[in-house]
Amino acid sequence: MHWLALHLPQLSLEAFAATLSEAERHTPLALVVQHRIVAVNGAAAEAGVRTGLKRATALALAPALRLAQAEPARDAAALQAVAHVALVFTPMVVLDDGPATVLLELGSVLRYHGGAARLRTRLHDALAPLGHRLQTATAPTAAGAALLARWGTAAHGDLAHGAHATDLDALRRLLDTAPVWLLGPGREHWEALQGMGLHTLADLRALPRAGLARRFGESLLHELDRARGDAPDPRQPLQPPAVFDSHLELYARADTTDQVLHGAGVLLARLIAWAQARRARIAAFTLRMRHERSRRHDADEGVPAHTTLTVELAEPGADAAQLQLLLRERLARCPLPAPTLELALHCRRWVQAEAPSGELFPSRQGQREGLVRLLERLRARLGDEGVLRLQPLADHRPEHAQRLQAAPVQGVGSTPAPAGGALPLHRPAWLLPASQPLHERSALPLLDGRPLQILSGPERIEAGWWDADLAARDYFIARDDGGALVWIYRTRLAEPGGWFLQGRFG
Amino acid sequence: MLVAVSPVHPTRPARGGPPPEAIHPALWWAAGFGRSRAPGLATGFAALDAELPGGGWPGGLLTELLLPQPGVGEWRLLAPVLAALQRGQGEHGAGSDLPRSVMLFDPPARPCPWTLAALGLDAMQFFVVQGRGQPRRTGRTGRSGQGAPRARLPLPAADTLWALEQALASGHLGAALAWLPPRLPADALRRLQLAAQAHPGPVFLFREAEARSRPSAAPLRLLLAPGPSSCPDGLRVHILKRRGPPPGAPLLLALPPVLGSAARERVRDAVVPRPAAQPGALASVALVAPSAVPARPLSA
Repeated sequence: MHWLALHLPQLSLEAFAATLSEAERHTPLALVVQHRIVAVNGAAAEAGVRTGLKRATALALAPALRLAQAEPARDAAALQAVAHVALVFTPMVVLDDGPATVLLELGSVLRYHGGAARLRTRLHDALAPLGHRLQTATAPTAAGAALLARWGTAAHGDLAHGAHATDLDALRRLLDTAPVWLLGPGREHWEALQGMGLHTLADLRALPRAGLARRFGESLLHELDRARGDAPDPRQPLQPPAVFDSHLELYARADTTDQVLHGAGVLLARLIAWAQARRARIAAFTLRMRHERSRRHDADEGVPAHTTLTVELAEPGADAAQLQLLLRERLARCPLPAPTLELALHCRRWVQAEAPSGELFPSRQGQREGLVRLLERLRARLGDEGVLRLQPLADHRPEHAQRLQAAPVQGVGSTPAPAGGALPLHRPAWLLPASQPLHERSALPLLDGRPLQILSGPERIEAGWWDADLAARDYFIARDDGGALVWIYRTRLAEPGGWFLQGRFG
Repeated sequence: MLVAVSPVHPTRPARGGPPPEAIHPALWWAAGFGRSRAPGLATGFAALDAELPGGGWPGGLLTELLLPQPGVGEWRLLAPVLAALQRGQGEHGAGSDLPRSVMLFDPPARPCPWTLAALGLDAMQFFVVQGRGQPRRTGRTGRSGQGAPRARLPLPAADTLWALEQALASGHLGAALAWLPPRLPADALRRLQLAAQAHPGPVFLFREAEARSRPSAAPLRLLLAPGPSSCPDGLRVHILKRRGPPPGAPLLLALPPVLGSAARERVRDAVVPRPAAQPGALASVALVAPSAVPARPLSA
């Protein structure tokens, strides 16, 4: 087993900063839990704000400080996106080990990715769009890797590489020098252990196990055992959800399309990570914007609580730039009735990514499949009656000689076209959907008020006595005022007599 | 598009230097024809081939045909190239022997299969795409109407434009024939032109003749009009725009004749038959005689 642990020390601050604009991210920021500062960024630290300060003290030190509540849900969503990116590299990704840590089992995929160094480079590149600071460590055990990653920079100062233990002995040696605060998810036992004069895990291990278990509980010892490889450590891999759902509460209300788009970019990055984890190609996604409503109800009569934008992709894809572009286009067309407070992105329509085509040259089969895919795509949007095929029928009456039917995909491109050209061309290329009655002046037909000049005819068509649609007509080829040829007929026996326009010679 | 203008002698390229096409495919001498990526598909009309850059209908580029109304001879003009595509003889690139389908987008009426067969086309290989904004013409009786409400669509033919763009971008069609709505925004054509680059065959956009004064992204624009009255099977082709020198006088192409030889003789002699099938009704009718214009020599 070869576990890689990714620890995100600034996860909650970065998850908060993602909701801000680029310029605002570099102003002093801090997160508070119960009026105590729990995380600060670099600008705030320069102003003297430290974790543990009271909210009022911090504001006195840095009046421009932006304070926000730490939100576990927001952190979890950001961490999940990191896990989804990791799923591209290995199917065994574990999320449940400590705060802000993602574990990847790499032993089975190292060869596929061309070695540990190359894999780590690729992983860092893939994680770069999410914009998190990372501490990594590798170890033969999952819990050991997680501990080393959390210790990471504090011990080695090597951001990109972190601590690496290739075998169990090296891991145990490293863990013996590790500080005791690493144990336990939230440093609960740190003060007690420090009070007992214990600094490293080796000090802890030297104590009798029974006493330690009585005082701190079994879990502390169990965590140590799993990290050292003394106890089995089975893990459940993370399964990405079948539909994507993510939301983002904006720090400041978004008045402009650009601000909305900026927030949506964070959600889109998560969507892409999810799509890559599932090998999904997104067919459509929905952006839902929750609007601000003022307290006065009479003022918001016309303001909806939500605006929903659905973006459909012609061809399912998972390209961040394309999705961003489509969303920008849709947002530009959509007027925002009120400032936006919260964004939510859903994706329920997606398809499994296809395996790439192995064909080098275009073949008849590939051509046919491509055409079928095109027809399916057109039909998906236009409906069955939007994509039709012309079918000739054996009937002498022109209006019954062909039919437009919903195109069956079968038989596309199978029959070669007959070599024609020998038939006379005395029929029009365009048949009007319904014969158009023509006015007449002195028994001569008029088209649009202009007389038609009859050039040839008559050609008699008399058919349809077997069904109710008897046609008994004399057809003429005539020329209209502009010089174009038209096909007209005069009814013979039928009741609504007169001249009719049936087609145009194209 | 770039046009290289020689300051010294525009008609004769400078010797010694490389031809402009070798520098960049979008570069050509203003006195000659620009070249597209591949030679054009023969139109079937030698006089028209000689006037078109690439010697035929260009593949991967939009070709605009401006018509006063549907039915001036556009089917007979395009039939040779469509037939060649359907038989799989049209293209010069890889896979040249593959038969390809032709897709019609929002045709103004229904193509008649008899005529298609007479023109050498296979009616079964035509697909008709109708956008939701268009009245549907389904069913045997061909009732028109019951189109979807247009107000929901941002553009009258948004569906058609979308479908056309998809079809072009897929590159699996032999040719696309689209009847576009009037007053089309210019960026719609630019989008189509971009999508057409993935399309190996020709793209024919049929538009109203009033669009000739408006700019268009299509690299080739032709204005079609019926022939003069002495020549009912002729088609006047006026090249409005091409990658090459400004076109000269309109061409008069002889299309495959619709009229029989006897009827043609009569028209030429300005003798018009009377549709006197029913005695009495038409006896006193004065038929409109064609204007006595001498027959112009045909270009092809």
